[in-house]
Amino acid sequence: MALTRRNWLKATGTGLLAAPVALQGFEDYFQPAAGGAPAGMTRIVTACGICSPSCGIQAWVQDGRVRFLEGLPGDVSGDGHLCGKGAAGAMQLYDPDRLKYPMKRTNPRKGLDEDPGWVRISWTEALDEIAFRMKQTVDNYGAEALLFVTLPSPDLWARFMNAMGVVNRIDHRDECFQTDTVIQKYTTGGKTWCNDFENSKYILLFGWDILAKAKLAYATGIVKARSNGAKVVHFSPNYTATSRFANEWFTIKPGTDLAVALAMIQVIISENLYNKEFVDNYTNFGKYETEIRAHFAQYTPEWAEQISGVKAADIRRIAREFAANGPAIAPAHKKSLCANYMNSSQLVHAISILNILAGTIDRPGGRYFPRMHSIPGVDAIYPPPPYPPKKGRRVDGRDKLPLVNEVDQGIFSTLADGMLNKYPGMIKFSFWNAYTILGFPNPPRMVEALKTVDFTVVMDFLPTDTVTLADIVLPSAMYLEGNDAVARDYIAKYPQTVARKAVSAPIFEAKSIAYVAIELGKRLCPDYFKTPDGSWINPATLLDEKVKRAGLGENFADFAAKGLVEKPQPFTPRTTFVSVAGADGKCQIYVPQFPAKGADPLPKWIPKRDQPNDIYPYYYMTFIPAIHRRNTTENNSILHEIMPTNHAIINPAMAKKHGIAEGQKVLVRSRAGQIELPAHLSETVPPDVVMVAHGFGHVSRAMSLAGGAGARDGDLIPDASIDDFVAAGNYAGASCIMDAVCSIEPL
Amino acid sequence: MAAYGWLIDEKRCIECRACESACKMWNQVETGVGVRRRQVRVYTTGVFPQVRQQALTGACYHCENAWCMKVCPVKAIWRRDEDGVVLIDQEKCVGCQQCAMFCPYGAPQFNLRTRKMDKCTMCFDRLEQGLDPACVTLCPTGALRYGPWEEVQKQGAETTANFAPPRQTRPKVRFIQEGFPTGK
Repeated sequence: MALTRRNWLKATGTGLLAAPVALQGFEDYFQPAAGGAPAGMTRIVTACGICSPSCGIQAWVQDGRVRFLEGLPGDVSGDGHLCGKGAAGAMQLYDPDRLKYPMKRTNPRKGLDEDPGWVRISWTEALDEIAFRMKQTVDNYGAEALLFVTLPSPDLWARFMNAMGVVNRIDHRDECFQTDTVIQKYTTGGKTWCNDFENSKYILLFGWDILAKAKLAYATGIVKARSNGAKVVHFSPNYTATSRFANEWFTIKPGTDLAVALAMIQVIISENLYNKEFVDNYTNFGKYETEIRAHFAQYTPEWAEQISGVKAADIRRIAREFAANGPAIAPAHKKSLCANYMNSSQLVHAISILNILAGTIDRPGGRYFPRMHSIPGVDAIYPPPPYPPKKGRRVDGRDKLPLVNEVDQGIFSTLADGMLNKYPGMIKFSFWNAYTILGFPNPPRMVEALKTVDFTVVMDFLPTDTVTLADIVLPSAMYLEGNDAVARDYIAKYPQTVARKAVSAPIFEAKSIAYVAIELGKRLCPDYFKTPDGSWINPATLLDEKVKRAGLGENFADFAAKGLVEKPQPFTPRTTFVSVAGADGKCQIYVPQFPAKGADPLPKWIPKRDQPNDIYPYYYMTFIPAIHRRNTTENNSILHEIMPTNHAIINPAMAKKHGIAEGQKVLVRSRAGQIELPAHLSETVPPDVVMVAHGFGHVSRAMSLAGGAGARDGDLIPDASIDDFVAAGNYAGASCIMDAVCSIEPL
Repeated sequence: MAAYGWLIDEKRCIECRACESACKMWNQVETGVGVRRRQVRVYTTGVFPQVRQQALTGACYHCENAWCMKVCPVKAIWRRDEDGVVLIDQEKCVGCQQCAMFCPYGAPQFNLRTRKMDKCTMCFDRLEQGLDPACVTLCPTGALRYGPWEEVQKQGAETTANFAPPRQTRPKVRFIQEGFPTGK
C-alpha cells in the first residue's frame, strides 16, 4: 500500500495533539517517499543549477526526454526537495527560444532596438575570430583592455583568464554576499553562508528574506527551527513570506537596520550579556575591551529608535532575548541585505559581532564553517606554467577598495562609470558569460558603456538583451546538459557531494564554457592547456581525476552511479578562527587590520545614500520573487505562467493620495531614470515605499515570453562611482541595489 | 472504496510553488492556455503594519458530493471507484463550462486550445503505481499532504479562512490549523 511506505499514519496522526507535540512526527515529511520509480522512466541523479545551493535532483526521463524533476532523497541542500523553480528547470532545457548555434552580427549599429542581423557561423569560425580579436587587443592595448564579465568558474575558464593575464574580470558578487566575504575573513574566518538554523533557538533576521525567495537550503531550516521551538524575529520594511514565519516582525525604515544592530551590540556589551566562555577564549574582546565599550556606548536603543522607527524597548528586549535564549544566530546573506545600502559594509560587520557575542561561531545553532569533500581544481591536477603577472588598471576602480581587491569579487555597480568616465575607451574587447545587463544598477548606462567596446562576445543559453549587443554570440549548455561533482556548501555539517550528470546531451550546438576555455586556450595560450604527456586537457578525464582524488569514486561514471556520496562525521567545533596575520586565530570584534585598508575597525553609523526628498519622496525597494531566479527564469514557460510580469507594489494609502487604482499604469521616477508599469495595491508595503520585483523588463523579443514583459527595476537604481564608495565608507563595496528614492504618479 | 483526500498544513507553506510546477511537469499541462490545475493563492488581511497573510494551495478536492458531476449536461465528469478521483472525460466534454460555474473552488478550468474543461486528476496514474501525487512529492515543507480519506478526516478542520463553505459539496480536504510552538 502506497501510504504505509512513508509511515503516513505515524506522521499525520499527531495532528490532533497539542502543537509542540504535534510536530514531532514532522521530520518524516522531509523525507520523500523512497523507491517509487514511475513505470517506463529512467532515473538520473543530477543537481539543480538555477541557484547556488544546487539541490540534488532525481530526474525521470522517458523516451530521451525529461518528464519530471524531483528532489534527491538524502540531499541536504534541498532537504530532498526542489522549489518551484527547480521543479520547472526542464522547461529551460527545452525552451524553444534557446540560442542554437554561434552567430555573427552584420549590423554595425548597436542598441537594444537594433536588429543585429545575425548570421549563423561555425564554432571554428567563431573561436578563430574571438581568438584573433583577443590577440589583437592584447598586442595593441595590453591585457587591461580585455573585460571578462563572468564568475571565475569553472576552473578551466579561470585558468584561461589567468593565462591571458586578464585584469578586468568582473562579477555580480558586490550585489550579493561580497560584503560578508570581506567581513567574515577578518571577523570569524568562516564561510559566509552556513547557518545551523535547525539547532538554533533564536534567529534574528535583518532584512533577510530567503523564505520569500524560496531558497530551500535556508527555508526548510527556518521551518524546522520553528518546529523545534525556536523564536524568529524579522526586521523588514515590508511584510513578506519570511515575516509569516517569524514570531515577531518589525517594520523598519529602509536602510536603518545598522542602527538597530549597533544598539543591540550596545545593550549586550553594556549589560555584559555576551557568551562569556566564547568571548573570553576565542575573541579579541579582552584585548580591545576599552575601545569596544567606548565605541558602542553612543549607540543606545533610544538613539536607534529615532533613526529606525523601531521602539527602544523592543530593541532592548530583543537584544536581551538574543543573548539569553541561545544558541542564537543572525544570518547575513545576499541581496536581502549585504548589498542593499551604502551602509551595508558596516551592517554586515555589526551582524558578525552579534554572532560572535552570542558565541555561536562554528557552534551548534550558529554560523559554521562548511565540512566539505576536498575536490581538487585543474591547477592541482595539472599544475600550470607560472601565470603572467596581472598588469593594468581595474576599470571598475576596485583597486581603491583594498579589502574587496583581496577577495577578488565584484564590482558591477561601478563598471559603467569606469568605462564611460574614469577610463573611457580603455576596454576594447569584452566577453560576457551568463550575465545580462538587467543584473546591473542603471542598465541603460551599462548599454551605453557596452557600445563603447569594439568587440563583444556573449555566451548564454537565451537571446538576452546583452546578446542583442554582441558581435559574436555563443550558445551555452545549461546545467542539465553537463557533468560535474557538486559539493554541498550551504548545509555542510559533514561532507556530502552530489553527482551532476547530464540528463540530456547539449541541444543543437550548445557547448560548455569549459569547451570555450580549452579551444581559445589552444589558439592563444596552448602551454596552459596541455597535460604532462603533451596531449590537450580533456574535461572528462579531468573530472574523472577530480572524482578519484576527492574519494568520490573510481571515476565519474562510478560516482554518478552512486549519485550522492557523503562522509557522516561528528560535528567538532573549531577553536581557531581568523587566519589573517595579527588575529592569533581568534574571532575579531575589533579589526585592527582594517584602518590600514581604508575601513573602520568597529562598525559605525552611516546613513544610506539616497534619502526621501521633495522631488523623490518615497523609498524604492526591489525584491526577488520566489518563483524567479534573478533575471534568468522569466522565459521559463511554467514560471512565466505563474508570474508573467511585475508591478509597482504600493500601500493603498499612497494609492489614494495619488489617485492610483489597482492595475492602473503608473510612472515611477528616480534620479537615475523612470519606468512605467501597472500598480498593485497591498497592505504588506509601508505607505512610504514603492516595491518592484527584479528580473523583468527584458527588451529582447527573441525571448518570446519574457521579452517586453514588465519593467526593469534597475532603471531607477543609480549606478555608482568608486569614489562615492570610498568617500562614504562603503569599504566592502556594497552595490547599493536598493539605495534609491522615487516618485510615483498615475498615467 | 479507498478514496483519498488532501491534508493542508497551511502555516507551513512558503509559497515556493513547487506544487504548481510539479503538477505542470508530471501532467504535461500546456502553459498559456488558461489552465493551472493547482495554484497557491495568497490572501492579505489587515492594515499595515497590522497585516497578516495566508498562503493556500488549492486544486480539485474530488468532492464527495461533486456538483460538477451533477451539472454536466453530457455526463463527461465521472468518479473512479478505486480512489474516488473525479475526472473529466475529454472525449465527452463539450466545453460548456457549466462545471466551472458550479464548482466553489475554481477547479475545472477552460482550456483555450482544446476548448474543453481541464482539472486536477490527483495524479491517479501515480496513485496506481504507489506514488504520491506530483504536488505532494515536491512540497518541501509538508504543507501539502494527502492520504486515505478516512484518516485525513480525523486530522484537521473542515474549512479555513478564504475557503468556500464545504457543507454542500463535501470537498475531500482537511486543514491543520495548529501553528508553531511559541519560542522564547
